[in-house]
Amino acid sequence: MTDRVLIEGSEAMARAAVAAGCRFFTGYPMTPFTELLEHMASLLPEVDGVCMNAESELEAVGMAWGAATTGHLAATGSTGQGLSLMQESLSEITNARLPLVVFNMARGQGDYFQATRGGGHGDYRHIVLAPMDIPEAVELTRLAFELASQWRTPVMVLGDYYLAHTYQAVSVPSIGGADPELPDWALNGSSGGSGAAKIISPLGGGVEGEEGFDLGAHYAACAAHIQEMSAGVDPLVDIGFCEDAELVVAAYGSVGKFVRYACLRLRDDGHRVGYVRPITLWPFPSEAVRDAIAGAAKVAVYEQNMGQMVEDVRLATLGAVPVEFIGGPSWDHSGFGIGPDINVPDISECILRAMQ
Amino acid sequence: MSSDHIFISTDLPPEEPASLVDDFTPSLITQANHHLCPGCGEPIAIRAAVEAVEELELAQRTITVFGIGCYTAFAHNLDVEVVQALHGRAPSVATGIKRMLPNGFVMTIQGDGDMVNEGLQEVLHAAARGENITCLLLNNGVFGETGGQMTTTTTLGQRTKTSIEGRDPHQHGHPILLSDLAATMDGAAYVARCAVNNAGNVARTKRYITKAYESQMAGAGFSLVEILTMCPTGWFVDTLEGPDYLQDTLAPVHNIGELKTP
Amino acid sequence: MSYGERELMLTGIGGQGVQLAAQVIAQGATAEGKEVLVFGSYGGMMRGGNSDSTVVISDQPIEAPPVLSTTWSAILMHHQFWAPLKERIRDNGLVLVNTSVFEDELVADRYQVVEVPATDVATDLGNPLLAAMVMSGVYGRKSGLVSLAGLAEGMRRSVPPYRSQLIEANEAALAAGWEMAA
Ligand SMILES: Cc1ncc(C[n+]2csc(CCOP(=O)(O)OP(=O)(O)O)c2C)c(N)n1
Ligand code: SF4
Ligand SMILES: [Mg+2]
Repeated sequence: MTDRVLIEGSEAMARAAVAAGCRFFTGYPMTPFTELLEHMASLLPEVDGVCMNAESELEAVGMAWGAATTGHLAATGSTGQGLSLMQESLSEITNARLPLVVFNMARGQGDYFQATRGGGHGDYRHIVLAPMDIPEAVELTRLAFELASQWRTPVMVLGDYYLAHTYQAVSVPSIGGADPELPDWALNGSSGGSGAAKIISPLGGGVEGEEGFDLGAHYAACAAHIQEMSAGVDPLVDIGFCEDAELVVAAYGSVGKFVRYACLRLRDDGHRVGYVRPITLWPFPSEAVRDAIAGAAKVAVYEQNMGQMVEDVRLATLGAVPVEFIGGPSWDHSGFGIGPDINVPDISECILRAMQ
Repeated sequence: MSSDHIFISTDLPPEEPASLVDDFTPSLITQANHHLCPGCGEPIAIRAAVEAVEELELAQRTITVFGIGCYTAFAHNLDVEVVQALHGRAPSVATGIKRMLPNGFVMTIQGDGDMVNEGLQEVLHAAARGENITCLLLNNGVFGETGGQMTTTTTLGQRTKTSIEGRDPHQHGHPILLSDLAATMDGAAYVARCAVNNAGNVARTKRYITKAYESQMAGAGFSLVEILTMCPTGWFVDTLEGPDYLQDTLAPVHNIGELKTP
Repeated sequence: MSYGERELMLTGIGGQGVQLAAQVIAQGATAEGKEVLVFGSYGGMMRGGNSDSTVVISDQPIEAPPVLSTTWSAILMHHQFWAPLKERIRDNGLVLVNTSVFEDELVADRYQVVEVPATDVATDLGNPLLAAMVMSGVYGRKSGLVSLAGLAEGMRRSVPPYRSQLIEANEAALAAGWEMAA
């Protein structure tokens, strides 16, 4: 008997979040995000945390924003439509330099651009992590809170129906730990009356009309910070069999796990195929992708959409080899992006066609 | 010359300077100068709001969440902690703060465009939830900052840039009486409406705001003070006509008084 | 070609205990230190619709994605929704069939078929709903993937608190299945 448990992905991620110090969570039900919300509702009271069933995604992201200003680790999340509603705030929270973890439990892979291009208005980006299965989701959830605190930025964990609803045997971290220390920028009211009360604003700080208040300077600082993140966040990537591969297949998330499996089997059958699976989708692991495809004659990108990450792969490889898109949108009638269209034989066939 | 007479020399500046605006500025307002329009009612309302914070000795536990409108300028001019929210979204941000800092004093400052147009659901949900925060609504019946268009609180017949012949119920619908709506919520503890168009109303505003703060500090639940403010610029009236215009246009519809007390 | 991974696909109709059987086997294997993955799908309704589940058990970290096109083993609780599974069972695989209710042809020469009158045995034990536990007992022994003690532990971890009065009967059904597989 071991300390490992068979646990549903949603619960594993919820436990990992609370273990990482998350003390505030809020959301609005939507499949496949719902179970994460339910698990947070049952776990957070155990650590005197707060979970709110927000009246809408607009309010969920607002509540999370408010909680984040107090320095406590906060998180929210949703699915497609709900994430669209949150974009206005995610943009501003990035510019307000607040840590926040956002669980994007997507339906299929149509939301890659929404996740990685910032999605909302303005010239911003935030970190995006895409696990392929539950053990990785547990680890990346921990990392998400760490990066959010370290960089004072929203970090998105991009999951899907498979991650939410698959059960897997994993070691889950215990949730009883001490509350994380509050950062010095956090608000609690106490700087009032000091002549220099704190302000947390997407428009920057300072007193209007006086030195220190300058929207242009604030946006320039935000831009510099984003550049720093894009250079400073360790890009994560999973690479297999690329040394002697004729064809390298790129894919991410749960679909990446299907592709990886297809490649393992094609290798068994003697096909010289390798795979590269970006885990940090922003910053995109361009260098690692470039290195991985160095010896290949061709790159194929498999995504469950009309071709989104393929653009990042093309930018990473800069014409070094032809990059072909071999995926396609989901035709799953449930709308959840699961089911018959994602399967190993069909993916293997797409890969073999691309090799010809 | 006899020493009974007061002698004022106009050749030299006085030894003691005459009183400046600064001398009347509450200590929690960082600098007296603001660039809101002459005759604007919003600075008066904000002044009452921060004076009440000081008088109740809440300065070191206050977090003020600002919406987006002309009043937003004061987000950068207060000596209390501030969080800048998006247009309409201050109540949920305030909710997140209050839940993590239950002993803090948390309020929002929002306009009618912000609270009653863009963010109506936020304030009503916070009220229904009995969220222990205080929301201040600066209601001038127009989008001041964007230049005087019709909002949901614009009264029938009121002329704005998007209701040029006056608000017509057939074309533009009816005004929303936010405080009346909020007062119907079981979670609302204190709801009152006042104005800043004359000295008596300013004093009443201060009184209502103080009661709302006290109700939050007593843990009574949601509190809302709606303050009718002059916007001569957005109303296209002379600065000096603002107070009367408010009395004739907004006040007959958005009735002044306490709507709900704990 | 299964990388030491053993796949099990279960099919039946809602209410037959397909999801519970998958959980019991998977929880049992987890308790015994194995790597395990489970993905279930239900036809919307709790009763009467299709109910399928996939379990993967291994000694190594699992490479398989949650949805598989072929399987080493299968538990057929009912024939109504089993058609898509037919071709997926690999040669020399292990197939457990609930002969009490299953009415279709099986290609017995391609894989090993174990006939289990699970619903009848369960009815004799006092409750036809125990059929899935009988099957799980047979599966544990035939597959060699989970011990009887492991299954019992897996069952205790899987039964929701409001069903705890069923634990004893479930345990007896698991044991009955285990014995039948001798
Ligand atoms: C989502 C969004 N829509 C529109 C705007 C543009 N906007 C800025 S201020 C404002 C009007 C504010 O009206 P109100 O809250 O009544 O404040 P006032 O200026 O009248 O004091 C609008 C529409 C915005 N900032 N955000
Ligand atoms: S436009 Fe109206 S609300 Fe805005 S500052 Fe001028 S008077 Fe005040
Ligand atoms: Mg207004």
